[in-house]
Amino acid sequence: MKKFLAACAVIVTLSLLVDPARAGNQFDYCLLCHGANANGNYGIRAPKLSGVEPWYLARQLDNFASGARGAPAEDDGGHEMGPVGMRLQQENIRDAAVQFIGSLDSRRPSPTVKGSVAHGRQLYAACAACHGAKGEGNATLQAPALAARSDWYLATQLANYKKGLRGADERDTYGAQMRAVAATLADDQAVNDVLAYINTLK
Amino acid sequence: MNRTVTRRDFLHAAGSLGGSTAVYRAAMGLGLMPVAARAAHPALTIAGRSRKVLILGAGISGLTAAYELNKKGYAVQVLEASFRAGGRNMTVRHGSRIDETGYPQVCNFDDDPDLYFNCGPARIPGHHVNLLGYCKELGVELEPFINDNRNAWVQDDAMFGGKPIRAREYMADSRGFVAELVSKSMKPDQFNAPMTTEDYDRLREYVKYLGTLDPNFKYVGTSNAGLAVHDYTSPEALKTPLDGRELLKSKFMAIMSFGETDDQAAMMMEPVGGMDRVVAGFLRKIGHLVQLESQVQRIRVLPKGVEVTYRHDGEYVTTKADYVLNCIPMHLLAGIEHNFPADYAAGFTAIPRGKLFKIGLQMKERFWESEGIFGGISWTMQDIQQLWYPAHGIHRQKGVILAAYTFDPAAGEKFARLPPAERIKLAIAQGEKIHPGYGSHVETGVTVAWHQMNHMLGCAAQWDEAMYKQWFNKLQAPVGGHYLMGDQVSYHPGWQEGAMASAHHAIADIEARIAAAGTQVARS
Repeated sequence: MKKFLAACAVIVTLSLLVDPARAGNQFDYCLLCHGANANGNYGIRAPKLSGVEPWYLARQLDNFASGARGAPAEDDGGHEMGPVGMRLQQENIRDAAVQFIGSLDSRRPSPTVKGSVAHGRQLYAACAACHGAKGEGNATLQAPALAARSDWYLATQLANYKKGLRGADERDTYGAQMRAVAATLADDQAVNDVLAYINTLK
Repeated sequence: MNRTVTRRDFLHAAGSLGGSTAVYRAAMGLGLMPVAARAAHPALTIAGRSRKVLILGAGISGLTAAYELNKKGYAVQVLEASFRAGGRNMTVRHGSRIDETGYPQVCNFDDDPDLYFNCGPARIPGHHVNLLGYCKELGVELEPFINDNRNAWVQDDAMFGGKPIRAREYMADSRGFVAELVSKSMKPDQFNAPMTTEDYDRLREYVKYLGTLDPNFKYVGTSNAGLAVHDYTSPEALKTPLDGRELLKSKFMAIMSFGETDDQAAMMMEPVGGMDRVVAGFLRKIGHLVQLESQVQRIRVLPKGVEVTYRHDGEYVTTKADYVLNCIPMHLLAGIEHNFPADYAAGFTAIPRGKLFKIGLQMKERFWESEGIFGGISWTMQDIQQLWYPAHGIHRQKGVILAAYTFDPAAGEKFARLPPAERIKLAIAQGEKIHPGYGSHVETGVTVAWHQMNHMLGCAAQWDEAMYKQWFNKLQAPVGGHYLMGDQVSYHPGWQEGAMASAHHAIADIEARIAAAGTQVARS
């Protein structure tokens, strides 16, 4: 039995993603879940990746690979991404994947969240310090852009921060900062309001 | 560990949702039934010869449509996202690759024709005439499949401290217990006219036979529960009936009649060597029309025809066709660029995706046969839910058993979250409750989490009545030259027969449109 389990572990590390003959196709897997041009697929709750800063994508992929993000079973989507992050790292193609996402044609997603833009604008003051007045992000502070993201995904992540499903792992220092800020959003209404405002940012 | 399986979940997962449909009848009317069920192929439509049809997905519905349309003279091309054709019709054997997002696996079963595992569909009932017809037409050899086996086990932590009992004991003893109570409590004066005294007597008789009661309407045991010993040199001895109240503690009561349902009752069949022999049969005829590793990125319905853009070898390729038959799972279609009407596209995210999960284990010894089990299913109320014993390869040294098949999405997710080795460990721990020493027989295994499988990310669409009412007609109807297809657009999701029905429906509609257009031209 032990021998068998060890064999399984070996299988998992087998390099199946990279087939030199099919190298051009290897990142189509990203598009399977994250949609055409990685503009996101609400149908399976896979967020938009195109247009996301490469340094942010790289950090998140590393967090998924190490388990600093996505480890709790209740974080369904994050949990699914964990082994993908691991594969990209094992096969030494994390940077190539990030580069691939950067090559895609990013489109602004349609809003799905409804809330009070006016109230959201007030709440957004707390976000602006790091993420920028226009939600454009700040590389120095390692804060990603928020404008033109999948709003339902931002809602999920805010909920995950609040529930301690993200940002609770000590290796995720930036996540810990965000977790503290997310806690200041009182309830779902506050989350929806701030997202409604973020949806107006260009 | 205990988990409730509602009858609804159960029937849904079993795909037992409904009878014949208008779709099916329409297809029959237009001569789309395979040879086994029809007299002759319909004549080629002249118009068909010059029409181009692009089929998205080489699963069962796509292959069926490609095969039929090719026969009719249409110019057919099939684009398939995966490295393999077949969709959820997937059999793994020695060396097969299991393309799961994050957890790719290779099947390490011995290289042996009996050592395979059907990861998707695995059984064919006698009324699935389309599938059976194609098996005949394509030379796919069939053999009996044992689904219901009264000698298999039922295990539930809620009864007898988790000790397994034979299915026949559960069924015979619980029915005897209930029948005795019913016959005791039935009184003639409870029944009004037109129930006569004779009717009442006949009813009691019926209950007696239903529960195998003795002439005094008492349940004292029955050979239906199995004899205490099968020693034919001494008189027959019945087993002592099990405590009826204990039996009724188990939710197995909801699964007890599984083997009597429309799609699950004997006589069932399976292709010799694996369900993917059906796929191989289609590919022998139309394999040259199928292009693999071509993932669709964009669909645009044009005033005339449909334009599709896909990725192949890292390049975007755009092509046009008069008709597009789209078998892409709706939950993936939602992430593809398109110009569909909003009230059509909204349906793609309205139907939840299935999360069925299976494990197959190669056992170094067919130990179940020494327990008198040859094929069939043992049921447990644990996460793994069922163990299937192969009906093929009886008395050979090794066998592949199905070690988990979950219907409950929560159980599917629980397994899917674990790495494959951990999934197998969990399944073995649960299987031990049915077969002590189970783990010691395991040589190697495969796990299939359908909602994490590449190019699928889901199992059968989980329609309910309200969804059918709101979305089915809308999603089934064409948008210009674009047709949504697959078992997902049928009243029989999760069955190949449903996939074929959807293909026949789309083809029938196209033919009717071409015929109508032809008539108009002729008149003008």
